[in-house]
Amino acid sequence: MSGYRGTRAGNAQEAAEWSTGRVVANNLRSIVGRAFPRVIGLTREPSWIFFEILLPFLAVSAFVFVYRALEAPEEYIGFVVLGGAVTAFWLNVVWMMAAQFYWEKDQGNLELYFTAPMHLMSILAGMAIGGLVLTSSRAIAVIGIGTILFGVTYNVQEPFLLAAVFLLTMVPLYGLGMLFASLFLLWGREAFHLAQLLQEPIYFLGGVNFPVRALGAVSGLVVAVLPLAVGLDAMRQLAFPGPISQGLLPVGTEMLILGAMAVIFLVSARFALAYLEHLARREGRLTLRWQ
Amino acid sequence: MAVTEHVAADVRGMTLPDAWRSFRTAIGLGWAIESNWSDPFLFAVYTLAKPLAAAMILVLMFQVVTGGSNTEFLQFLIVGSALWNVVFGVMAGLVQSILEDRERYRMIKYVVVTPTSLFPFLLGRSLARVLISLVAVALTLAVGVFLLGVELRPQPLILIPSMIIGMLAVLALGIFMAGWCLQLRQEAWSYPEAIAGGLYLVSGAIFPIDILPTFVQPIAYALPTTWWLEASRRGLIGHGSPGQLGTIPDGTVMLILVATTAITVPLALLAFAWFMKRARQAGLLDMITGS
Repeated sequence: MSGYRGTRAGNAQEAAEWSTGRVVANNLRSIVGRAFPRVIGLTREPSWIFFEILLPFLAVSAFVFVYRALEAPEEYIGFVVLGGAVTAFWLNVVWMMAAQFYWEKDQGNLELYFTAPMHLMSILAGMAIGGLVLTSSRAIAVIGIGTILFGVTYNVQEPFLLAAVFLLTMVPLYGLGMLFASLFLLWGREAFHLAQLLQEPIYFLGGVNFPVRALGAVSGLVVAVLPLAVGLDAMRQLAFPGPISQGLLPVGTEMLILGAMAVIFLVSARFALAYLEHLARREGRLTLRWQ
Repeated sequence: MAVTEHVAADVRGMTLPDAWRSFRTAIGLGWAIESNWSDPFLFAVYTLAKPLAAAMILVLMFQVVTGGSNTEFLQFLIVGSALWNVVFGVMAGLVQSILEDRERYRMIKYVVVTPTSLFPFLLGRSLARVLISLVAVALTLAVGVFLLGVELRPQPLILIPSMIIGMLAVLALGIFMAGWCLQLRQEAWSYPEAIAGGLYLVSGAIFPIDILPTFVQPIAYALPTTWWLEASRRGLIGHGSPGQLGTIPDGTVMLILVATTAITVPLALLAFAWFMKRARQAGLLDMITGS
């Protein structure tokens, strides 16, 4: 159903010529439309809430108990809880952004996206915004429950800076998801394996459960390509200031890196989508199921 | 569509060769689906990177806190982390096989109406994932031995029976889960991860169960997975877990493993038979949940 209330076009050519305002309005509607099921899903699928909180929380608890068994300083417990919350966003990026176009193809929605008069970036932006809202509830729950159960204490001296770092982390994170969405579709059946590959190996490289600097020489490479690691390192410096949380780089530098990553990933996602659309129209193969 | 249980009197029952043929065919099918017709090298990378990264996370957590001392705990971590691949492989293998065949490939109803039983088919179908998990066990142990200095002191008299009995118990848990997940309307895909995650937490896989809250410890002591891990550790590295569990004599550990397995296996088989009966009667075999 179109919500557009414009004048009736005289012929097909005229109908196809949209004003800039109409194009923008249409794409904004597409963003809202794609974000809607994820946001409304918060209330309509309570079982999702259970699993999306339970699963990250089980892992968080296991790692907390390992640190307890090792008699580690309490900051490490906080590292794990914060890492568990950010992991929820990463899982959302992998399964509900990167792999999403592949699932959409399997369900027969992808060709609708290609034929609808909107930009595919709007669909991805809608998925990202909806996913961010959806996952925020999970992340808040993991932090809340983890903080209460494990007695984590935070020492946040610059809350606005922490909020800014969090938001700045989300932009390249979901930008990477947008880029992967196109790549996963191109790689076809490998999508499931790729999604698997982007879990534990990324938790390891991202320093989700330990300080990123513990990776040694590899951490330089990680900081260059993985927004999860950079954002988490900066957030830990701000939430648990002290020698144990000493970051790989100063927070300001890490924010600059995150900003640069945001631009690179979003622009790359745009190009990858353009290539994908080109392939879809030329070969007509991308919408075939089971490929 | 409900599949009725009426069987004509002159129809012969399933013979052992029938079951073997079904099992063998299902192995091939399971392997083709699991490897997803992908490049063998890429498949190997995907398959092995995940368990290795999971083990390396624990190793780095250990390193940042202890600086490499307390090698006994490192051995405990590596063996637990390696063996847990089996639990996850079996659970995920059995459950995802049955769900994929019902929801994605939509052919479980055809298997059920053939003269052969679903049971050998299901075991064969999930075997690929179990074998992959065994490779992951070997690889994680190899990394532990060759790169991290874990010293294996195999005791075949403990290791071989504990692995056989433990695998039986884990298979029984997987079979129970597979039958259970057939009954679920939504989120069935998340159950193996949730249950395996829960067992991971309470079975003493990566930390001694003394660390758990007191009210959880009786659950840990009642699970066959706890005793399988404990017996296997003794069979592989020559000593048990740190803490209370490690003080129990080898014979008692084996006895409790046998007892908990002897209870788990028949209960799981009975439950699976009941779940299948209910699935036939309620028409759950061709249900598409869209989850």
